Amino acid sequence: MGHRVRLGLGLLASAAAVAAVSGVVLLLKPHVPVVSLGALYVLAVLPVAMLWGTALAAAVSVASMLAFNWFFLPPYHTFQLRDGANWLVLGVDLAIAFAVGALAARARARREDAERRRLEAHALAEVALELLRGRALDDVLAELASLTAAVLAVPAARIELGDRPPREGERPLPLEASLRRVGTLFVPARTVVDDAVPRRFLPSVAALLAVALERDRLQGEALEAEALRRSDALKTALLRTVSHDLRSPLTAILASADALASPGLSLGEDDRLGLAETIRAEASRLDRVVGQLLDLSRLEAGGAEPHRELWHADELVGQALASLGDAAARVRLEIPPDAPAVDVDAGQVERVLANLLANALRYSPPESGVVVRAERGATELRLHVVDRGPGLPDEQRDALFQPFRRGAAGHGSGLGLAIARGFAEANGGRLWAQDDPGGGHLVLALPLAAREPARA
Amino acid sequence: MSAPRVLVVDDEPQILRALRTSLRGAGYEVETADTAQGALAALAAAQPDAVVLDLVLPDGTGVDVCRELRTWSDAPVIVLSVVGDETEKVAALDAGADDYVTKPFGVEELLARLRAALRRVDAPAEPVVELGDLRIDLEKRAVTVRGEPVQLTPHEFALLRVLARNPGKLLTHGMLLREVWGRGYGDESHYLHVYVSQLRRKLEPDPARPRYILTEPGAGYRLADRL
Repeated sequence: MGHRVRLGLGLLASAAAVAAVSGVVLLLKPHVPVVSLGALYVLAVLPVAMLWGTALAAAVSVASMLAFNWFFLPPYHTFQLRDGANWLVLGVDLAIAFAVGALAARARARREDAERRRLEAHALAEVALELLRGRALDDVLAELASLTAAVLAVPAARIELGDRPPREGERPLPLEASLRRVGTLFVPARTVVDDAVPRRFLPSVAALLAVALERDRLQGEALEAEALRRSDALKTALLRTVSHDLRSPLTAILASADALASPGLSLGEDDRLGLAETIRAEASRLDRVVGQLLDLSRLEAGGAEPHRELWHADELVGQALASLGDAAARVRLEIPPDAPAVDVDAGQVERVLANLLANALRYSPPESGVVVRAERGATELRLHVVDRGPGLPDEQRDALFQPFRRGAAGHGSGLGLAIARGFAEANGGRLWAQDDPGGGHLVLALPLAAREPARA
Repeated sequence: MSAPRVLVVDDEPQILRALRTSLRGAGYEVETADTAQGALAALAAAQPDAVVLDLVLPDGTGVDVCRELRTWSDAPVIVLSVVGDETEKVAALDAGADDYVTKPFGVEELLARLRAALRRVDAPAEPVVELGDLRIDLEKRAVTVRGEPVQLTPHEFALLRVLARNPGKLLTHGMLLREVWGRGYGDESHYLHVYVSQLRRKLEPDPARPRYILTEPGAGYRLADRL
């Protein structure tokens, strides 16, 4: 379509140029020998050659000589020539017009080519820059496709990795770098693409794509290496915890049992009871640490598949309270009777709440209690666990949930909150520390049940 | 009445020794076995009044022993389970075990469970269950708290009735669902805990610290047999 309009414009301009030069020749004819004025038609050929190229320039050259012959060389208004020597003049003029036209058209083609190459180079540089900035591969693909569409002058293009079949109405163009197929460019099948452009431009696109893929692969490897390094760090911390948190209760148990069994010691009844109580308490502590290590390894191995059922908050909190023993008396509950049911694994949420409550009770001063408050959100039930302890500065709030961290008081293995967050997230919930000038404030959000049972 | 006889089945010699000493100290006569085969043989020979049964045995599982035992004996069975073994524990309860304790457990806890299980064997079914302020009249279908009648929906009452007929006994989720909704309970299993919560809100002074209807995490519910 555009092509035809362009040709029409060219023809009109050509006619106008020939007419204009003919006018000039008419004006100059009284003053200059008319035969020498034929060379002026070069002025008509030149702009046409520069704007429309060789073919039209040649046509203008011929038309100019015909017009010169027709209007200005006798006999007038015929294509005959009275003077045979004028044939030579016409021939020379035509040759000059052809030569000038060809030169001008070539200059134009060079300029256009340079402009297109500049565009292409610019386009490639843009994408390369995006790559350097570390944009995601998908974004780079889209960018590359739209730039390629602009360079090829097609309305749309898309790029897919590897060798893919085209969709309806698409033409595939292979993208190959180092003899390897890296992707496929798809352009609308109906559009005309000048073959030279893809031949020159697509290898560069393919090379960029190859770089993008390579970068993506390297990034993946770096992430894996980072994960490995972190899991290594975790194992080291785990071993340290195991050696400390398992050995200290074991030491207490061994020492107490030895004392009880030793015939050389004279122990009163109170001493014996005290030693037995130590053994019992330290064995419970050992059991708790082992339980936490099991929880953690289950979470790390991704084996904490929740068995979800509908539960009410008071039952979930109740189970956690039951696991805390006597300390549970310090916990005050503010759970409205119409608190909605949640869809979770009760055993895992009990682990979350027990860890949160144990943590809050540990940091809260003995004379003050811990409050559990339930609050209904749009899609989740929020359980606030609030204590009157020292709380936490902003910057430490997220580190709280890293395994093997512990607060200033230094009790516990530092696993509880990491486990709590792990189980919360396994159940589609969230766990975070909230800013609260009054003390520690942790919030557990659990997904609401899709439907409540009929009250029957 | 002679001392009740308890069969203890576990393949850990240290646990057997500790339990033998403690149970004898508490006045029981103790037999022991360390395999499933040995357990069944001892059951037939010694006719124990109660069984303490480890779930993991070298030649089989406690669940199999339970199932076999229940074909000819009513002696209460208390299984010893470990954390992370909830499925086996529930299977043993469904196969006829009466109760469980989780390793590691204290001797006091095991003795309490044992006493309660033995007591239930002799207890006649009561038409009226009284527990603190709660009074359940099964014949008149009347429930009162501190003398005030409580309105229960049919499902809530059915649930309470099953629990009240077996005071102190642990009833698994499966048992409760079958008793209340029949065999094809299907979807209702999802709602069991919600019904229990509703029931607690009508009966318990502090539903999050229940005194009457107790939760056995991962296993089921029981009605407290004393406060």
